[in-house]
Amino acid sequence: MTEQNDSRLNARRRFFGALGLAAMAAPAAAIEADGGTGGLPPQRESEAEKRKPRYRETDHVRAFYRTNRY
Amino acid sequence: MARLKFLCDSDRCIECNACVTACKNEHEVPWGINRRRVVTINDGKPGERSISMACMHCTDAPCAAVCPVACFYGTEDGLVLHDKDLCIGCGYCFYACPFGAPQYPRVGNFGGRGKMDKCTYCAGGPQQDSTPVEYIQYGSNRIAEGKLPLCAEMCSTKALLAGDGEIIASIYKERVQQRGYGSGAWGWRTAYREELPA
Repeated sequence: MTEQNDSRLNARRRFFGALGLAAMAAPAAAIEADGGTGGLPPQRESEAEKRKPRYRETDHVRAFYRTNRY
Repeated sequence: MARLKFLCDSDRCIECNACVTACKNEHEVPWGINRRRVVTINDGKPGERSISMACMHCTDAPCAAVCPVACFYGTEDGLVLHDKDLCIGCGYCFYACPFGAPQYPRVGNFGGRGKMDKCTYCAGGPQQDSTPVEYIQYGSNRIAEGKLPLCAEMCSTKALLAGDGEIIASIYKERVQQRGYGSGAWGWRTAYREELPA
Protein backbone atom coordinates (compact mmCIF):
# COMPACT_ATOMS: atom_id res chain seq x y z
CA MET A 1 0.00 0.00 0.00
CA THR A 2 1.38 3.42 -0.89
CA GLU A 3 2.12 6.25 1.55
CA GLN A 4 -0.63 8.36 -0.01
CA ASN A 5 -3.18 5.64 0.59
CA ASP A 6 -2.09 5.39 4.24
CA SER A 7 -2.66 9.07 4.87
CA ARG A 8 -6.09 8.88 3.25
CA LEU A 9 -6.97 5.90 5.40
CA ASN A 10 -5.81 7.69 8.54
CA ALA A 11 -7.85 10.76 7.66
CA ARG A 12 -10.87 8.53 7.16
CA ARG A 13 -10.29 6.82 10.50
CA ARG A 14 -9.99 10.20 12.24
CA PHE A 15 -13.22 11.37 10.62
CA PHE A 16 -15.19 8.30 11.69
CA GLY A 17 -13.58 8.41 15.13
CA ALA A 18 -14.73 12.00 15.59
CA LEU A 19 -18.20 11.07 14.31
CA GLY A 20 -18.41 8.27 16.86
CA LEU A 21 -17.38 10.57 19.70
CA ALA A 22 -19.94 13.16 18.61
CA ALA A 23 -22.65 10.51 18.50
CA MET A 24 -21.84 9.55 22.08
CA ALA A 25 -21.55 13.13 23.32
CA ALA A 26 -24.78 14.43 21.76
CA PRO A 27 -27.21 12.35 23.88
CA ALA A 28 -25.19 13.20 26.98
CA ALA A 29 -25.59 16.89 26.17
CA ALA A 30 -29.30 16.36 25.55
CA ILE A 31 -29.72 14.70 28.94
CA GLU A 32 -28.02 17.72 30.51
CA ALA A 33 -30.30 20.13 28.60
CA ASP A 34 -33.52 18.33 29.37
CA GLY A 35 -34.35 19.08 32.98
CA GLY A 36 -30.77 19.26 34.20
CA THR A 37 -29.35 22.19 36.13
CA GLY A 38 -27.06 23.19 33.26
CA GLY A 39 -24.01 22.58 35.44
CA LEU A 40 -25.15 24.96 38.17
CA PRO A 41 -25.18 23.78 41.77
CA PRO A 42 -28.71 22.99 42.96
CA GLN A 43 -30.24 25.40 45.49
CA ARG A 44 -33.13 23.33 46.73
CA GLU A 45 -35.92 24.61 48.94
CA SER A 46 -36.80 22.82 52.16
CA GLU A 47 -40.01 20.76 52.34
CA ALA A 48 -41.83 23.64 54.10
CA GLU A 49 -40.55 26.23 51.61
CA LYS A 50 -41.71 24.10 48.68
CA ARG A 51 -45.29 24.07 49.89
CA LYS A 52 -45.59 27.61 51.17
CA PRO A 53 -48.23 29.82 49.55
CA ARG A 54 -46.58 31.75 46.72
CA TYR A 55 -49.35 34.11 45.71
CA ARG A 56 -49.35 37.72 46.83
CA GLU A 57 -52.05 40.21 45.97
CA THR A 58 -49.80 43.04 44.85
CA ASP A 59 -50.80 46.24 43.06
CA HIS A 60 -49.81 44.50 39.82
CA VAL A 61 -52.22 41.64 40.50
CA ARG A 62 -55.01 44.00 41.57
CA ALA A 63 -54.54 45.94 38.32
CA PHE A 64 -54.94 42.67 36.41
CA TYR A 65 -58.23 41.92 38.19
CA ARG A 66 -59.48 45.46 37.67
CA THR A 67 -58.75 45.55 33.94
CA ASN A 68 -60.35 42.14 33.44
CA ARG A 69 -63.65 43.54 34.65
CA TYR A 70 -63.87 45.95 31.70
CA MET B 1 -56.17 31.66 51.60
CA ALA B 2 -56.27 32.13 47.84
CA ARG B 3 -56.75 29.06 45.65
CA LEU B 4 -54.98 29.80 42.36
CA LYS B 5 -56.84 28.73 39.22
CA PHE B 6 -57.01 29.27 35.49
CA LEU B 7 -60.25 30.11 33.74
CA CYS B 8 -60.53 30.28 29.96
CA ASP B 9 -63.54 32.26 28.81
CA SER B 10 -64.01 30.49 25.49
CA ASP B 11 -66.56 33.07 24.34
CA ARG B 12 -63.69 35.56 24.22
CA CYS B 13 -60.81 33.41 22.94
CA ILE B 14 -59.94 34.30 19.34
CA GLU B 15 -57.26 31.61 18.88
CA CYS B 16 -54.47 34.18 18.48
CA ASN B 17 -52.00 31.90 20.29
CA ALA B 18 -50.42 34.85 22.11
CA CYS B 19 -50.64 32.85 25.37
CA VAL B 20 -48.70 29.99 23.78
CA THR B 21 -46.04 32.33 22.42
CA ALA B 22 -45.76 34.31 25.65
CA CYS B 23 -45.27 31.12 27.65
CA LYS B 24 -42.63 29.71 25.33
CA ASN B 25 -40.75 33.00 25.29
CA GLU B 26 -40.96 33.69 29.02
CA HIS B 27 -39.68 30.28 30.06
CA GLU B 28 -37.48 29.54 27.04
CA VAL B 29 -39.40 26.31 26.58
CA PRO B 30 -37.46 23.99 24.24
CA TRP B 31 -38.56 22.95 20.79
CA GLY B 32 -41.22 20.27 20.79
CA ILE B 33 -42.77 21.31 24.10
CA ASN B 34 -45.80 23.54 24.55
CA ARG B 35 -46.73 24.11 28.15
CA ARG B 36 -49.85 25.85 26.86
CA ARG B 37 -51.74 25.39 23.63
CA VAL B 38 -54.96 26.53 22.03
CA VAL B 39 -57.49 23.87 21.11
CA THR B 40 -60.22 24.71 18.62
CA ILE B 41 -63.34 22.65 18.22
CA ASN B 42 -65.69 22.83 15.23
CA ASP B 43 -63.00 24.76 13.37
CA GLY B 44 -64.50 26.76 10.52
CA LYS B 45 -68.04 25.65 11.34
CA PRO B 46 -70.87 27.38 13.17
CA GLY B 47 -70.32 27.06 16.91
CA GLU B 48 -66.52 27.14 16.65
CA ARG B 49 -64.89 27.53 20.05
CA SER B 50 -61.27 27.88 21.10
CA ILE B 51 -59.88 27.07 24.51
CA SER B 52 -56.44 27.90 25.83
CA MET B 53 -55.25 24.80 27.60
CA ALA B 54 -52.41 24.01 30.03
CA CYS B 55 -52.04 22.30 33.36
CA MET B 56 -55.13 23.27 35.37
CA HIS B 57 -53.43 22.59 38.74
CA CYS B 58 -56.21 20.20 39.71
CA THR B 59 -57.52 19.54 43.17
CA ASP B 60 -56.55 15.91 43.92
CA ALA B 61 -54.38 15.88 40.77
CA PRO B 62 -54.48 12.56 38.88
CA CYS B 63 -50.88 13.04 37.68
CA ALA B 64 -49.69 13.06 41.29
CA ALA B 65 -51.76 9.98 42.07
CA VAL B 66 -50.07 7.86 39.40
CA CYS B 67 -46.48 9.14 39.63
CA PRO B 68 -44.29 6.19 40.70
CA VAL B 69 -41.56 8.43 42.12
CA ALA B 70 -43.86 11.01 43.80
CA CYS B 71 -42.27 13.93 41.99
CA PHE B 72 -45.43 16.06 42.23
CA TYR B 73 -46.25 18.23 45.22
CA GLY B 74 -48.98 20.72 45.98
CA THR B 75 -48.48 24.20 47.37
CA GLU B 76 -50.80 25.70 49.95
CA ASP B 77 -52.35 27.94 47.32
CA GLY B 78 -53.35 24.97 45.17
CA LEU B 79 -50.56 24.77 42.60
CA VAL B 80 -49.38 21.37 41.40
CA LEU B 81 -45.62 21.56 40.84
CA HIS B 82 -43.09 18.88 40.10
CA ASP B 83 -39.47 18.06 40.82
CA LYS B 84 -37.42 17.36 37.68
CA ASP B 85 -34.62 15.86 39.76
CA LEU B 86 -36.99 13.05 40.73
CA CYS B 87 -38.88 12.61 37.43
CA ILE B 88 -37.90 9.49 35.49
CA GLY B 89 -39.90 10.37 32.36
CA CYS B 90 -42.12 7.30 32.58
CA GLY B 91 -45.10 9.09 31.01
CA TYR B 92 -47.77 7.85 33.45
CA CYS B 93 -48.79 11.43 34.26
CA PHE B 94 -49.43 12.09 30.58
CA TYR B 95 -51.88 9.20 30.45
CA ALA B 96 -53.55 10.24 33.70
CA CYS B 97 -53.95 13.94 32.93
CA PRO B 98 -57.44 14.80 31.57
CA PHE B 99 -55.98 17.88 29.87
CA GLY B 100 -52.89 16.37 28.20
CA ALA B 101 -50.67 18.84 30.05
CA PRO B 102 -47.45 16.89 30.71
CA GLN B 103 -44.93 17.22 27.88
CA TYR B 104 -41.64 15.45 27.20
CA PRO B 105 -38.61 16.97 25.53
CA ARG B 106 -37.65 14.14 23.21
CA VAL B 107 -38.50 10.80 21.74
CA GLY B 108 -35.49 8.55 22.13
CA ASN B 109 -34.62 4.92 21.72
CA PHE B 110 -36.36 2.44 24.03
CA GLY B 111 -39.14 4.93 24.82
CA GLY B 112 -36.90 7.42 26.65
CA ARG B 113 -38.76 10.71 26.81
CA GLY B 114 -36.64 12.89 29.05
CA LYS B 115 -37.93 14.67 32.11
CA MET B 116 -41.52 15.83 32.07
CA ASP B 117 -42.24 19.51 31.60
CA LYS B 118 -45.51 21.28 32.26
CA CYS B 119 -47.00 24.61 33.23
CA THR B 120 -45.71 25.79 36.60
CA TYR B 121 -48.25 28.63 36.86
CA CYS B 122 -45.12 30.78 36.44
CA ALA B 123 -44.19 29.71 39.98
CA GLY B 124 -40.93 27.87 39.33
CA GLY B 125 -40.20 24.65 41.15
CA PRO B 126 -38.42 23.22 44.17
CA GLN B 127 -35.25 25.27 43.66
CA GLN B 128 -34.81 28.56 45.52
CA ASP B 129 -37.03 31.31 44.07
CA SER B 130 -35.70 33.39 41.19
CA THR B 131 -32.29 31.70 41.00
CA PRO B 132 -30.58 30.85 37.68
CA VAL B 133 -30.86 27.14 38.43
CA GLU B 134 -34.62 27.48 38.93
CA TYR B 135 -34.90 29.35 35.64
CA ILE B 136 -32.96 26.67 33.75
CA GLN B 137 -35.09 23.84 35.11
CA TYR B 138 -38.54 25.39 35.44
CA GLY B 139 -38.52 28.82 33.79
CA SER B 140 -39.33 32.19 35.18
CA ASN B 141 -40.93 32.67 38.60
CA ARG B 142 -43.37 35.54 38.15
CA ILE B 143 -45.43 34.60 41.20
CA ALA B 144 -42.38 35.29 43.40
CA GLU B 145 -42.21 38.72 41.75
CA GLY B 146 -45.82 39.42 42.77
CA LYS B 147 -47.20 38.89 39.28
CA LEU B 148 -49.49 36.36 37.60
CA PRO B 149 -48.84 33.89 34.77
CA LEU B 150 -47.78 35.74 31.64
CA CYS B 151 -50.21 33.85 29.39
CA ALA B 152 -53.13 35.42 31.26
CA GLU B 153 -51.53 38.83 31.56
CA MET B 154 -50.78 38.89 27.81
CA CYS B 155 -54.27 37.84 26.70
CA SER B 156 -55.51 40.67 24.50
CA THR B 157 -59.19 39.74 24.71
CA LYS B 158 -58.97 38.94 28.44
CA ALA B 159 -60.19 35.43 27.68
CA LEU B 160 -57.65 33.72 29.89
CA LEU B 161 -57.97 34.55 33.57
CA ALA B 162 -55.55 33.53 36.28
CA GLY B 163 -55.34 34.28 39.98
CA ASP B 164 -57.40 33.77 43.10
CA GLY B 165 -60.21 31.38 42.12
CA GLU B 166 -62.90 33.37 43.93
CA ILE B 167 -61.92 36.64 42.27
CA ILE B 168 -61.67 35.26 38.72
CA ALA B 169 -64.98 33.44 39.24
CA SER B 170 -66.59 36.74 40.24
CA ILE B 171 -65.12 38.42 37.13
CA TYR B 172 -66.51 35.62 34.96
CA LYS B 173 -69.86 35.84 36.74
CA GLU B 174 -70.10 39.54 35.93
CA ARG B 175 -69.42 38.76 32.26
CA VAL B 176 -72.05 36.02 32.22
CA GLN B 177 -74.62 38.32 33.81
CA GLN B 178 -74.02 40.80 31.00
CA ARG B 179 -73.89 38.46 28.04
CA GLY B 180 -75.37 35.08 29.04
CA TYR B 181 -73.75 31.80 29.97
CA GLY B 182 -72.33 30.79 26.58
CA SER B 183 -70.10 27.75 26.67
CA GLY B 184 -69.38 27.79 30.38
CA ALA B 185 -66.20 27.74 32.45
CA TRP B 186 -64.59 24.95 30.53
CA GLY B 187 -62.66 22.40 32.57
CA TRP B 188 -63.73 23.56 36.02
CA ARG B 189 -65.88 20.51 36.69
CA THR B 190 -62.98 18.20 35.79
CA ALA B 191 -60.18 20.14 37.44
CA TYR B 192 -61.78 21.55 40.57
CA ARG B 193 -64.87 19.32 40.88
CA GLU B 194 -67.14 22.32 40.93
CA GLU B 195 -69.65 24.20 38.83
CA LEU B 196 -69.55 27.96 38.58
CA PRO B 197 -72.94 29.35 39.58
CA ALA B 198 -74.04 32.08 37.22
